Amino acid sequence: MPLEKRVADLRRYVEFDERDAARLAAVRDALAPDFPRIAQQFYDKIREHEDAHAVFTGEEQIARLQSSLQVWLHRLFGGTYDAQYYERTAHIGRVHARVGLLQRYMFGAMALIRLELVRLVEARAVKDELLATKIALHKAIDIELAIMLEAYRDEHVERIEKKLALERQELALSAAQREKQYAAAVELTRDLIVGVDEEGVIHMFNAGAEAVTGYGREEVIGRPFIHAIVAEGAREPCERVLRDGTAPARFEATIATRAGKMRDVRWEIARADADRVKFLLIGHDETEARRLADHARQTEKLAAIGTLAAGLAHEIRNPLNGAQLHVAYLERTLKKANASGEALEAVNVVGDEITRLAALVSEFLDFARPRPLTKKPASLGALITRCAELAADDAAKASVEIARDLPSKDIVAMVDASKIEQILLNLVRNAIEALAAMQGGHVTLRLRRKPKHAVIEVEDDGPGLPEDAPVFDAFYSTKPQGTGLGLAITHRIVTDHGGTIEVESRAGRTVFRVELPLGEEIE
Amino acid sequence: MEARRALVLIVDDDVRSARRLAQLLREDGYDVEIAYDGASAIARLARDPVPAALVTDLRLPNADGLAVSKFARTCRSDIPICVVTSYPNLASALDALDPKPMVFTKPLVYGDFSAALSRMMS
Repeated sequence: MPLEKRVADLRRYVEFDERDAARLAAVRDALAPDFPRIAQQFYDKIREHEDAHAVFTGEEQIARLQSSLQVWLHRLFGGTYDAQYYERTAHIGRVHARVGLLQRYMFGAMALIRLELVRLVEARAVKDELLATKIALHKAIDIELAIMLEAYRDEHVERIEKKLALERQELALSAAQREKQYAAAVELTRDLIVGVDEEGVIHMFNAGAEAVTGYGREEVIGRPFIHAIVAEGAREPCERVLRDGTAPARFEATIATRAGKMRDVRWEIARADADRVKFLLIGHDETEARRLADHARQTEKLAAIGTLAAGLAHEIRNPLNGAQLHVAYLERTLKKANASGEALEAVNVVGDEITRLAALVSEFLDFARPRPLTKKPASLGALITRCAELAADDAAKASVEIARDLPSKDIVAMVDASKIEQILLNLVRNAIEALAAMQGGHVTLRLRRKPKHAVIEVEDDGPGLPEDAPVFDAFYSTKPQGTGLGLAITHRIVTDHGGTIEVESRAGRTVFRVELPLGEEIE
Repeated sequence: MEARRALVLIVDDDVRSARRLAQLLREDGYDVEIAYDGASAIARLARDPVPAALVTDLRLPNADGLAVSKFARTCRSDIPICVVTSYPNLASALDALDPKPMVFTKPLVYGDFSAALSRMMS
């Protein structure tokens, strides 16, 4: 209801008319000298009251309010009660709502003022008009109060609604933002974040997990974590952690990627207690870091071994030289003296052993302190052909056939040709030796191109290597006369080229696969 | 009738090995002299008769095998040189010499060595 109508309605109800207005105006001048005192007393009273006083911001404000109260008192006895008048009254109500003054204090305050004014009217009004003036005052004050309270209420409701709307808006906004932030954090991290339920079934699989495992979330969600991504050998300890899961716990579990590669992942398990996701498994892929650390350790070790080996080689070769020359002399002397075959054989054995020791020293030096590579563009097809030719005699003796499987277009790579020839010959000779033990077989030398790499395979149909044999470790050998350095040197030469070598072996098929970068100039 | 025996200078600080090698070479028809360090090898090379071949280690006390080889070439520009060393990797230092010395890695296999030496001297 608009203000004007409300006022008219109220005035009708309490029967406030023009005569009442005139009576109030008639006493104004008699009362006005006391208005400052009333205002002063009113605010002094409020100062004593804790809750009411809390609304004030300072003395300046109180002074301002005190003069506002005097203005109001003059207005109340002004005799003109029009729309503008009640608009100002409503404004007072709204201001009180804004400053947060409780409504009950408006009643209390009005009661105090009313009492003072009644006293003043009684003391100063004309006798005949006293009762009518008091009645007019009560009516006027009640209308004032009613208008102020309604305005207060309207203002208050409006403010609450505004505040609520704002709060709702803010709430909605920050929830959306929060969700976005969390989603971004989960999706942008390179760590694996996998959410599982109590049974260990995957319900959440972030982008990091997808990148490391190679599996899409749609493939693994709903499957048990352990069977979906943990490598076979690593499942048992992982199962135990999940079962006894006193989160937060840490554990390591190697995972098998879609491509069949193993990644070393350090996991942390945290209790999530969401609807379905009871545990969050947060994994950090340490494969690369470990590989680098291993490589650094290996390089350091090799450098130390290299220095040691160089010094040792000199110390060993010199006495071996003496021994060999003396053996040569002995052999000659024994022959001249027509010594027994046995004596000659004994000398020959010593000579052979010296030769073997000398070869070991050379190989070890090769492994431990390789000469720097001199890379030049070289035809890998030609290297393979030459290698097959060099091994032809040995192959024929062992009834081994060497086949070449070369691409239609030759591959040229930046390599140290003599070193690559050395490793290929080594691999081929190993294959021939393995086949010789079973009266022959086949060796295939294969060459293939990848975008940035050349792949050379040396395959044989021999008995295969023992499972998990550390064939690339120094001094590991399956041959009674082997030094155990051949494949270690091969490994070193390949890695020095920035390439990789791997072996795949079962009975009847063993493949050594060497992958060499073509080199930037050739790519 | 016998042609004059060719003189080989052996330079090695390993006395017993040097003596044994000298003995084997003598039996095979060479005259042999031994120097046990670089300085005395150079002193010997400075005197007549200039050896027909030089067999030297690389690492030697008082002037190394390279210095000895270079000096030998100033005495006789085409003197055949055999380097016998525990460090064949260091032999690249000899690349400047022309004709190139033949490099043998210790332990020396006498049969191979004497065959190579006689080829070089012929």
